[in-house]
Amino acid sequence: MTRTDGLSELAWARWSAADGAPPALPGFVASDFAPSISDVADRVLSGGQASARTGLVLASSGGDLATAVATAEAVDAGKAPGALLFFQSVPNAVLGHIAKRWSLTGPVICLSPDSREQGEVEARSVARLLLRAGEADMVLMLLAEPGSAVAVLLEGDAS
Amino acid sequence: MSAPRKTVVVTGLDVTTAYGRGEDALWTGLGSGVPAFRAVDRFGTGRGRTNVAATLPGDPDLETELTAVVTNACDQAGLSETDRARTPLLLARHADGAVARLDVADQEHRPISLTARTVAAATGLFGPARTYTNACVAGTTAVIEGIMRIAAGEADRVVVAAGYLVDPDNFALFSAGRALAADGLLRPFSDKRQGLLLGDGVGAVVLESAESAERRSATVRAVLAGWGMAGDAFHVCQPHPRGEGMARAIESALRRAEWAPSDLGYVNCHGTGTKHNDASESAALHASALDDVPVSSTKSMHGHTLEASGLVELAVTILTLRHGRLPLNANYLGEDPECALRLVLDRDEKPTTDRALSLNAAFGGANAVLAVSAP
Repeated sequence: MTRTDGLSELAWARWSAADGAPPALPGFVASDFAPSISDVADRVLSGGQASARTGLVLASSGGDLATAVATAEAVDAGKAPGALLFFQSVPNAVLGHIAKRWSLTGPVICLSPDSREQGEVEARSVARLLLRAGEADMVLMLLAEPGSAVAVLLEGDAS
Repeated sequence: MSAPRKTVVVTGLDVTTAYGRGEDALWTGLGSGVPAFRAVDRFGTGRGRTNVAATLPGDPDLETELTAVVTNACDQAGLSETDRARTPLLLARHADGAVARLDVADQEHRPISLTARTVAAATGLFGPARTYTNACVAGTTAVIEGIMRIAAGEADRVVVAAGYLVDPDNFALFSAGRALAADGLLRPFSDKRQGLLLGDGVGAVVLESAESAERRSATVRAVLAGWGMAGDAFHVCQPHPRGEGMARAIESALRRAEWAPSDLGYVNCHGTGTKHNDASESAALHASALDDVPVSSTKSMHGHTLEASGLVELAVTILTLRHGRLPLNANYLGEDPECALRLVLDRDEKPTTDRALSLNAAFGGANAVLAVSAP
C-alpha cells in the first residue's frame, strides 16, 4: 500500500497487551518493551522481503519505562541493578537483537515523538529522509507504546 | 530516491562540559592536558567500580543548561527573533530518571520529547522537531537529520542540541555492567585500559544552508561536508569485532564529502576506553585506510557524555580545525596491538589538513559519522 508520503508498506504486524504477553526474549528481563518489539519485527521480517540494507527506526514516546523503573527501584534501595538491565537500558538494544537475527545493516535509530499520536508520522518522516538519501534500501518502522507495538516494512516508491 | 544537495554549514555553536560553560572553557581544558575527572559529589556512588566522573560543580539542571547553549548558539549565529521563530529544534537526550520515579499515571504525560518542547519555547524557536534517544549516537543522528533536511531543501536552518548530565541511574547501570574504569582514568586505545567514565555534556549548533548563511552575512564556523550511518548486525550491545558497521559509515561519509582518506588531518574517535569498542573502532579505521591519520578520543579528557557525545565531539572537532592544534588522546599507557593507530600523544601537534571526521557508536551496533571541514 502506498501513502501520499511516498512510502510503500510491504508488510506489517501488531501486538497488543490484550493479546497476552509477548513471547519471552532471552537476555531481556523485567519489561515487555523489547519482547513486544522483537515479536512484531519477527512477524514482519519472516516474510523474507527485507533487503540487507534495511534501516531500523523505532519511535517510542517514553522508551522502556519498565526497565527505567526497575533501575530506579534498585538505585533507590541502595542496590546494584542487574547487569541485564544495563544491556537493555537504551532502546537500541533490541534493535541490535533484530539486526543480528535478520542480518540488517542499515542505520539504527530511536526517537521520542512530540506526542504518542505523532510516533508514526515522525518515524515515517525519518524513514523517508533515509531512503531519499540512499542510506538504506528499506526501513523497518517500529512503534512502541505501553501495551502496544507495531512493525511496518517500508520502501520508497521509486526504489 | 535521489536528493538534491545543498551545502550545510555551522553558524552557531555552544558547548558545556566538566571544563565549564562555553567553547573557550572546553578548548582551554583540552589544551591543559589535565582530564576533568573528579569524585562525584552530586549523588552517592555506593560500592561501584569507581566514584569518578567528569562533572560540573553542583547538580545542574538539564533543561536550564540546554536552554543556555541553544540561546548562546543562536546569539552567535546572529539569529533574529523572526529567524528563531522559523527554526525547529532537533534534540538528543536520555530518558529522565525522575520520570521513572513518578506514578504510572503521571509517566504518560512526561514523554522524553517534553524537554524539546520546553527548550524550544524558552528559546523562541519554532518548536520541537524530534528527540533522538539512540544512546551514544543520538546527538550525531540529530545532526545528521539536520543535514539531511537542509541538504534536501526541506529546511533552510535547524538548531540541534543534545545533553547528558551524570546521574545516579546510569552511573549504577554502567558500574553494574562493569563498563566503568576502576582505575579512575579513561584510556582510549591504550594498553591496560579498563573502561569508560561518564561526563557532563551539553551542546548546541545552528545548522543552515550556505545560501542562507550568505544571505544573512553570517560567519561560517564549519562545513558539514558529509555523513554516514550503518549498523553492525552483530550483537545487542557489543560492536562488530572487525568494525564493519563503522567502516561502512565512514565510507558513506567520505563518499558524500568526496574526500579520500589522505585528505583527512584528524579523526575524533568514539574511543570509550573499553576493550571491545576500541579494538572494533581500530579495525574500522584500518579497513578505511585511516590508520595513518592522527586520531584521538577526547573522552579521555571530558568523559563519555552518552547522548550528547555527538554534539560535544563535533564541537571539539570544529575547535580543532579552527585553532590548528590536535587534542590529546590522554592517559595513554602504551600500545595495544589491537589498537595500532596514529594516536595524538603530543600536545603541540598540528593537523596537516583542515578536514576531519567525528565518529560515534552505540549499543545495538549503531554507527554514525560526520565529515567536517574548516570554512
